[in-house]
Parts: sequence; structure tokens; C-alpha cells
Amino acid sequence: MSRWFLALLLLALGISGLAATKVLHIYTALDVDEAKIYIEAFQQKYPDIKVEWVRLSAGELLARLRAEAANPQASLWLGGPSDTFIVAKMEGLLAPYKESLGWQYLPAKFKDPDGYWVGIYTGFIGFASNKDYLEQHGLEPPTSWYDLLRPEFCGKLSMAFPYTSGTGYTRLATLVFLMGEEKALEFEKKLSECIHHYTKAGSAPVTEVGLGEVAVGIAFSHDVIAKGVAKGYPVVLSFPKEGTGYEIGAMALIKGGPEPDLAKIFYDWMLSAEAQSLYKKWFRVPLNPEAEVAEGLITAEMVNLVEYDALWAAENRDRLCELWQRTTGY
Amino acid sequence: MTRKRVGAGITRPLFCLSRSRAVQLIHDPVLLTVIFCVFALIGLLVVYPLVRVFTASLFQRGAFNPRYFLYFFEGRPYLLRPFLNSITVGVLVAVIGTVVGFLFAYAITRTNVPGKSIFRWIATFPIISPPFLLALSAILLLGENGIITKWLFSRFGIRWSIYGLPGLVLTETLAYFPLAFLTLEGVLSGIDPALEESAMDLGASKLRTFFRVTLPLATPGLAASFLLLFIRSLEDFGNPVVIQGRYPVLTVQAYLAITGMYNLPLGATLAILLLVPSVLAFMLLQFWVGRRSYITVTGRPSTAGLQTTEPYIKWPLFAGLVTLSGIILLFYGMVFYGAFTELWGVNHAFTLDNFRYVFSTGASYLVNTLKLAGIATPLGGILGTIIAYLVTRKDFPGRRALDFLAMLNFAVPGIIVGMGYVFAFNTPPIQLTGTAAIIILVFIFQRMPVTIRDGIAMLQQIDPVIDDAAADLGAGFFRAFRRVTLPLVAPALVAGMAYMFSACVTSISAVIMVVSAKWQLVTVALLHEVDNADLSQAAAYGVVIIVVVLGTIFLMDFLVRNLLGRWRHAR
Amino acid sequence: MPAELVLQRLTKIFRGRGKPVVAVDHVDLEVGKGELLTLLGPSGCGKTTTLRMVGGFEIPTEGEIYLGGQRITHLPPQRRPTATVFQSYGLFPHMTVFENVAFGLKVRHLPRAEIRRRVHEVLQLVGLEGLEDRPPGKLSGGQQQRVALARVLVIRPQVLLFDEPLSNLDAKLRVETREHIRRIQKELGITSLYVTHDQAEAMAISDRIVVMNRGQIQQVGTPQEIYLRPANAFVADFIGRASFLQGKVVAKIGEETEVELNNGVRLMIPYSFAFSPGEKVKVVVRPEGVDLVDPQEACDLVGTVVLAQLTGALAHYRIMLDSQETVEVEVLGALEKGLLAPGTQVGLRLHLKNLHLLPA
Repeated sequence: MSRWFLALLLLALGISGLAATKVLHIYTALDVDEAKIYIEAFQQKYPDIKVEWVRLSAGELLARLRAEAANPQASLWLGGPSDTFIVAKMEGLLAPYKESLGWQYLPAKFKDPDGYWVGIYTGFIGFASNKDYLEQHGLEPPTSWYDLLRPEFCGKLSMAFPYTSGTGYTRLATLVFLMGEEKALEFEKKLSECIHHYTKAGSAPVTEVGLGEVAVGIAFSHDVIAKGVAKGYPVVLSFPKEGTGYEIGAMALIKGGPEPDLAKIFYDWMLSAEAQSLYKKWFRVPLNPEAEVAEGLITAEMVNLVEYDALWAAENRDRLCELWQRTTGY
Repeated sequence: MTRKRVGAGITRPLFCLSRSRAVQLIHDPVLLTVIFCVFALIGLLVVYPLVRVFTASLFQRGAFNPRYFLYFFEGRPYLLRPFLNSITVGVLVAVIGTVVGFLFAYAITRTNVPGKSIFRWIATFPIISPPFLLALSAILLLGENGIITKWLFSRFGIRWSIYGLPGLVLTETLAYFPLAFLTLEGVLSGIDPALEESAMDLGASKLRTFFRVTLPLATPGLAASFLLLFIRSLEDFGNPVVIQGRYPVLTVQAYLAITGMYNLPLGATLAILLLVPSVLAFMLLQFWVGRRSYITVTGRPSTAGLQTTEPYIKWPLFAGLVTLSGIILLFYGMVFYGAFTELWGVNHAFTLDNFRYVFSTGASYLVNTLKLAGIATPLGGILGTIIAYLVTRKDFPGRRALDFLAMLNFAVPGIIVGMGYVFAFNTPPIQLTGTAAIIILVFIFQRMPVTIRDGIAMLQQIDPVIDDAAADLGAGFFRAFRRVTLPLVAPALVAGMAYMFSACVTSISAVIMVVSAKWQLVTVALLHEVDNADLSQAAAYGVVIIVVVLGTIFLMDFLVRNLLGRWRHAR
Repeated sequence: MPAELVLQRLTKIFRGRGKPVVAVDHVDLEVGKGELLTLLGPSGCGKTTTLRMVGGFEIPTEGEIYLGGQRITHLPPQRRPTATVFQSYGLFPHMTVFENVAFGLKVRHLPRAEIRRRVHEVLQLVGLEGLEDRPPGKLSGGQQQRVALARVLVIRPQVLLFDEPLSNLDAKLRVETREHIRRIQKELGITSLYVTHDQAEAMAISDRIVVMNRGQIQQVGTPQEIYLRPANAFVADFIGRASFLQGKVVAKIGEETEVELNNGVRLMIPYSFAFSPGEKVKVVVRPEGVDLVDPQEACDLVGTVVLAQLTGALAHYRIMLDSQETVEVEVLGALEKGLLAPGTQVGLRLHLKNLHLLPA
């Protein structure tokens, strides 16, 4: 009888130890629906490589990498704002891949000089507003950061926690670049009194605006279009005139990952025009100039962008997040 | 003549090392080994992870630094607020849930309202429900843009927000009142009808009898259900994640601290703040109210007792039953409805796309979950039964300690169990993160208290003289357990395992930190859908989980009824 | 008879929330090979606890147990060569009669054919052949009892332990079954330790009886010894019924003892007691050791009937003496003589050789 027990336990442990052949493990901060598109396309092109992937928001992903540093469970990190990649590079969690052709042709501001990460898309922080709510109250979509504090919107905002979401942190860093650290934290404090709630994932506010649970949400423009407007929700996109932040979505090899060669194949493919043409479905702005773009896509020229120092943002991430937490009490 | 049965009446201090009991153990090496192994398992897989959570909150980089505890006592909001909020919600849910559960139980056991079995079934449904769903429905119905909210506003101009305290209390009461109901149903049907009858025989009115006889006798059950609901509410993760709004609670904040900020000391501190009230309540429950008031989900108490047929009592209670059942059906109905809509809340065109999504992207999650739960359940069932057997039938030094420790995870919120496992098994010598094993172990050791509890209840129904006879005739531990005890508890064990399986499948807070790229679980997938506010897909996941769980339970029930033949008439 | 089972200073103290309870208090006992020794006493006297310690179901706080020269004090039940017939039988409800009886043999890994042979043999011995395939739930109480007996006999233990095996049976069945048990025990010659609170049962089947009270042995002896010469008032009153008359020893003359009762009556008892002249004593009078006669005739005592009951063959009387002491009297043949009415004056003629003396 005890033999049975032992056998079952061994079986259970054994299952976990089974290593499959030609399996690539990816962590992605992209939305599940979105990541699926790219991963499935990759698997169609390379049918002998099976991809197993987990979706985590940027902060969670970084935390996971830190936790697994001694024994990484995945080989490639796909998507998410570059600041988290910079932090990861500083902590020695990434492996460089300068040899990639894709990396080589990109302009300097879209990649890590030492080859530890590479930009694959860009996006801009914007406001999503519920059309029905605006109509009912005779309002225009917000066009300034300070609009958010107006009584018509106060209490009906949602946005992501800076410490769990890349979107959230980019927002916080943008405000710092716009107003200076002290003023930015003051503003965030006022904002925290006006929010309906904070979300864990960066793009959740869009759907919440779509459902009418909140009136205004802060998210990346491609999320606003892809998850809001394109899906059929009554959502309208606007930008703050003072200036908004942007992200460079990046990709990198995880140091010590179990299948570095397979990861490199994906890496190269992701930088190709073929792959980045798939961004159309998600309204992302590709960084490969030969990729096809979605119709009506918002590009960098259309928006007022602040000077976003990604390196500073990365270096000060933990400190800023803790300050934010102390200031707002969340 | 009643005989003093050692182990079920003699109380000894927690660590009584009686020389004579220890000496007898030496002469029974098999039993000694089994006890030792069980202690080792419990020590490694229940106590050690908890210890690691403690040390994580008290030490930073090797130095003693209970920073966040000091901040807590200073009153820093991001520590104090979640704590006060969790306690507030816990108390409210416990009180309201107990009252509702009591009224429900009273209606079922003491009146002759029609449709009892339907009501009973509906009332116990939330126990097997996957997480998040109640909160999702609450938003759909009562959120800012909810169906009912809009209607109320247009009709009566009333505005409210379901987010935060109201939403938490509503969803958690709905989720946990079944536990109160089952406890109190057992208690009420256990009251000797002769007591109430003689009170009335002596001239007391129905009301007086109720307040002077019934209610006082039910008090242990009321206290038990209060404490039970308090513990469950504290550990709730699924509902707060969706609906806490600006009202943070400890479970979610601890989770965010660890996974979002990788701030282990903060997360561990929040975890300890959550653990302390929960364990205190559990100890109260164990020692004050006693084991007899535990409910087993598998027990079927009789409905003996005085029946109230007065219309002025019966029909209001009936109305209450209908209302409550209606609310539950409405909430879950919304989930079923939403699973078939294109874009829940906006476009309600019928579609099967969500299910296609679940069975394509989510197929591996589903399969993994079933696989892992399927391995964990029999292992947990057998181990739990062995522990129940040791604790009720054998006497040895440390028996009471084993009893307490094995049941400890009943009071430890799932999020802390998961956290402890990540801290404890992240590095060599035992490195299990990323494997299936860690998920299986979390399933087993988090859910085992229920099987132990059920096991103890089952064993208490079997005359201990049968075990004596088996030993007397020469059977050692394993033979006696296998040939005599197991066949007699098998029917109840199988039924209990159905519930353990469903508990594993619907588990979220314990497993959320131990899932990995290779081993994903369907509740975590559900959480991601909720995170992204992809509600139709979330609903589809919910429906699939419900169907799987119900299917398992019916299957087990069928097995017990029809295929366990001879073993069943053992009584 | 060489001793098979030896209990040495056996003690059991239960420690609970209140005061510790001394259930068995330094008991010394020896059971001879093939003997049936009965532990007899009221509830709570420690007899069952003693039995359970011998069986291994309780662990002694102090003392030792030897079986066949071997120390078994701390062995678990499965390693002791004892077998118990429990009060509630403990039959395995999910097994048939055959499987129940075969259980002990299976544990000992006997071959199947041998098991079948032995089981049939023992079922015949107890009179249950033909019932092999019945589940215990479908048997009568008496049949269940015999299955329990068969189950322990078949493994041929060194010592048989009986824990009030007949208390769940009705009166007639009890008498039949105790004969049955005694017969088998004598036939097979198995050393047996028997526990009961029913003194008639104990008297009927035992080789020797141990009377216990409050954890201590009051007296050990054959049924006759215990009945005729109880060692103290407790034993005297527990076995059979007894009336006590106060008095003092006047003289010891050879094998006789002269006693003067408090009311002055002198009795010459043909037995040498260990009392000295002048010592106060209680005279133990058994109800069947008194004849009732007309008060005018020669008699030892005179009294008034205060209670008269007919219980079948016997008439039971309570007679009140002048000294306000009462004497219980049982008389055979009330049917013929007619029942005396309460209030009747009677004379009591005592059977002197059946009188016994105890310290006052």
C-alpha cells in the first residue's frame, strides 16, 4: 500500500521532470489575444518548434525573472516597455544577441547599445473615454492631464498600478518628465483621490471604459484602439496636449534560459517585416520600416511627446514605485 | 457501560511524552515509521513554508529588520488600511452570512416549506463555484453601468457603487453562507426534538421556546459558523481582485507586493497580518467550539425535528429562500449568459467563439488542471485518511500536535500557502518551482484539512472495537488500514474526494504563485481574462470549470451509489 | 497448575482534566494454564481495564505482564498471543462470516486450503455451519456472538480474553451460551481471562474468581470459597445476598467459635475464625441459610415479617428483629406453604455451619 503511494508520488515528480524536445518557453507582457497572433504565426512558419508561453504583466514578469534567476524557466521575453528591460539588464537577467540582423538595422534609440534588448514596437499613452458617458453629460474627451481632476471625471477614472504594469509606470515616469518629481507625485496623489480603482494590467482600463464601469481610462493608444474601438466598444481616444509619454516595446533573450537557440530563431523572426506586419491587427506601430501598417494608425508625428529618458526611468523604477506607494497609500 | 477510549476524550497537553506510550511505539515499528513519515511530511510541507514566510517578513538580507511591522504599528496607510478593511469585511460577512445561513437552515429543518431539496442544492452550489464569477456578475448587474444600477437610477434616481465594501460583503456572503447553512443545518437537526417538545409541553409559546431552548442549543453552531466564515472571508482572493476598487484588502495587496513589486518583506508582512487573525479564529474554533461542530460537505443530516407549520413563520421564510435562491441563480445565470455573448456588456449577440477560445488557447490549461488535480486528489485523500486514522484511533506522543498542524492549513489563507512554497522551494536542496510537483503539493497540503476533517467524522461513525479486533487478530497498521478501515470509509472517502477535486480545480489564491510556463492552470487563465476585462472569455472559462466540477461530483455520486456494492452496507 | 499469565503490580492511572483516576491499583494475579479465571465486580471496578491491559489495548502506568514466561507489557495487540471476544463482538461488517473467521488466519499467511479446513472445523464447533456466506448484519445476536468466538478460537491463541461477552444477549440465551463457552474452553484447554459483572455467570463457569472493587482485588478464590467465606463485607454483599448482624466473639473452643449477638443471642459456629475473644464482629447470614418456623418453636431469633415477595420457586422475606436489624430470608416451596403476610411474627432458625464472621 505504501508502495502505491510512493509510486504515485514518483510519477508525479517524474511528469514534471520530463523535458520535451524542441519546445520554446516564452514569457510575454503582451495581451494574451495579441501574443497568440504572433506566436501562432511563428509556429506556422516553424512547425517543428512548439511554443509554451505565459502572459504576465510587466511588473510581474520582472518579478518572475528575479525569482527564477538561479534557474530560469523561459528563454525569451516578448513585449513590454523597455524600462523593465533596462532594469533587467542592470540586474544581469538578460543575454545579448547583437548578431541578429534585425538588431543591427534598427536606429540607436530603439535598442540597447550592448545588444541586450531590441525594440519591436512603439506606443503612446492616451486617454480612453466612454462615448455614451460623454454624450450624456455633454462633455468632450479630456485633452489635458488636468482634465482628469475635473469633477465630471473625478471618481470615474481607472488606470494601472505603476508597480505591476508597464503602462502604469510609463505614465508615472511621463509625469515626472513633464512636471518634475515632486510635482508629479503631488499630481498622482490628487489623481489617486479621483480614481475609481487601480488595475493590475495596463490595458484593463480600456475594457472598463468600454463597459461603462468608468468614464475615462489611461492606456496605450494601440490598446485603446484594438481592445476598445475595434472591438465595438463605445470608446474614443484622445491625448493630453501638454505632452504624453511613449514606450518602446522590447524583446530580449533571458540569460540562462533553457533553449537559447530556439529563442534566437524567434527573435530574428519577430524583427522581420513579415512578423511586424501582423501588428495591423492590434494597431501597434512597428519599428521595421518595411512592415505594413494598419489604416488610420496613430503615428509619432500626430502626438505631442515628452522627452522620455528610458534609462533614467529604468534606474529609478523601484525608488519611484515605493515613493508612489507611500504617497498615495496604494 | 461506556469505556474510556483513549484518543477521544482523554485530554492531554500538546506534547505529553508519556514514557509508557513511547515504549509501546518502539514495539510497533511499522506504526512508528508511519507516524514519523507523517510528521516529516507535515513538518516539511506545512510548517516549513510558513516559517519561511515569517522569516521573510522579519529578515532582510540576513539582518533582523521587521521594517514593515514597525510601519504597520506606525499606521502607514498601505499597511494599516488593508488590515482594517480585511477585518471589517470578515466580521460583516461572518455576521450576515451566519444570520442568512441560520434562517435558511431553520427553514429547511424546522418548517415544511415546499421544494426543500431544490433550495438546498442551490444553496450549496457556491461551494464548488470557481472564483471571480460572483464578483463579475456583481459588476454586470450592480456596477457603475450595471443593468440593475441603470434601472434603479432611471426609476428612482438612486446612485451607488458596488465596488469596495458593499461588493465585497455581497459577493463573499453569497460565496460563503453555504458553509454557515451546512453547519447550522447539522446543528439544528442534531437538537433532540424532545427538548423543544417538552418546553412547549410545559407551556412555553413557540417564540419563547425558540429563544430559550432552540437558540441557546444552537449557539455552538452559530459561533462555529461565525468563525468559519470569518476565516474564509479573510482568505478570499478572487472576489476582491475584481471588486475591491479603492478598498484594498490584505490578500490582494500581499499578492501585488510579491508579484508586482517583488517586495518580499512587504508581501510577507501583509501575509502575516492576514495570518494572525485567521489562525486565532481557527484556534478558537478548535478548542472552544470543539470538533463536533465541523460540517462535512458529504454528510447528509436527517431532517428530524419539530416542524413549524404556522403560515406567518413559514411563508416569510419561504419568501426569503426564494429570494436568496433567486439571487444566486441570477448571478450564476449572468455568467452562463455572458459566456455566449460576443462582447459582454456591449454586444450580446450569440456566439460560441468564447468556448472555441477556451478549448483552443485554454485547452492545455484545462488538461493540466485536471491532470494535476487528478493526481493530487487520491494522494491527498489517502494521506488525509491516514492522518485522520492516526489522530482518532492511535495514541502516541505528539498526537495533538499532529492534529493541530495537519489542520493548520485550514486557517492559513491560500495566498500564504502559495507564497510559503515559493519561498521554501525556490532554491536547492529542494527546488520545485516551475514543476508540476509543487502544484500537486500545494493542492494536497492546502486542501488536506478538509479530507482529514471528513475522515475524522467518518471514523467516528465506525465502532472503534472493530479496529481493536483487527489488531487483536494480528493485523499490523497497513493490513488493518487496508482491509478493515478503508473499505468501511470508502464510500464517504470517494464522495469526499469529489469535493477535494473540485476544490483543487477551483483553487486560485494558493496556486497563483506556483504556476509556470510549463504548468498553467485554468483558474489562473480565468484571472488573466478578468485582468484584461475580457469578460465573455472569462465567463466561458467559468462555465467550463463549473461543468467539469459538477460532472465530477455527479460521477462520484453515481459511483458511490451503484458500484461500491458490498462496501456500502457496512454499518 | 503452572502459571501461564502473570500480572505483577499492574496499575493504570488515567489523567484527565480533573483529578487522576486510579482505575487499576497494583494488581497481582496469576492465571494457571487451562484455567478460566473471572474478574468480577461492579462497573468502574477496573476489571475491564485490567483485561484491556492484558490484551494490549491499554498501556499500564506501572507493573508488568508475563505470558508463558515472556514479558508482553508493552507489545502492541497484534504481537501478543492473546485473542479477545469483545462485548460488542467487533465483527467486520463488510465481510461474510467465513471471511471474518478466516481473517486471523489470512494475517498469518496460512495456505488457502488450510484456512478453509480450519474455518469449517471451528464453525462446526460453535454450531454455525451453513452460515459461511452471511454478512454479520443478517445474524441474530447469539449467532454473532458465536462468530466472534469462532474468530478467536480458530487462531489457537495462548490466552483467551472475554470482555463481558454475554451482556448483549437475553437471559435465556446468556445461560445457554455460557455453558457453551465453558464447554469449549475446557475441551480445548485454553487459558482464559473472563470479565463480567454478573455474579451468577461468574459462579457458574469459573475455576476461580477475582472480586474487584475500586481498582483493587478484594478476594481471589473458587466460587465456593468466595460464596461461603467472603473476605470482607463488600464481597459478602456482592456475591449473593447477605444480612449482617452485629455481635462479638465470646470464646474460641477448638474448631468452633462462640458468638454473642448484640441482642444477647448466642450462636456456636462450627468454624475456626481468626478472631480473638472480645473482638467485635459482623455475622453474615445468607438468605437460604435461614428456616422460618413458628415463633413458639425452638429458634435462634424472633422477628416480624416486613416484606414478602414471591419470585417463582422462592419466596423472599425481609424480617425485622427487635434490634432493628433486618434479615433477608429465601424459602423454597412457598407454593405449598403459602406466603406469610407482613406483620406475622416468625422464628428464625439459622444454619450455623453456613454462618460467617467478618470484622465489624
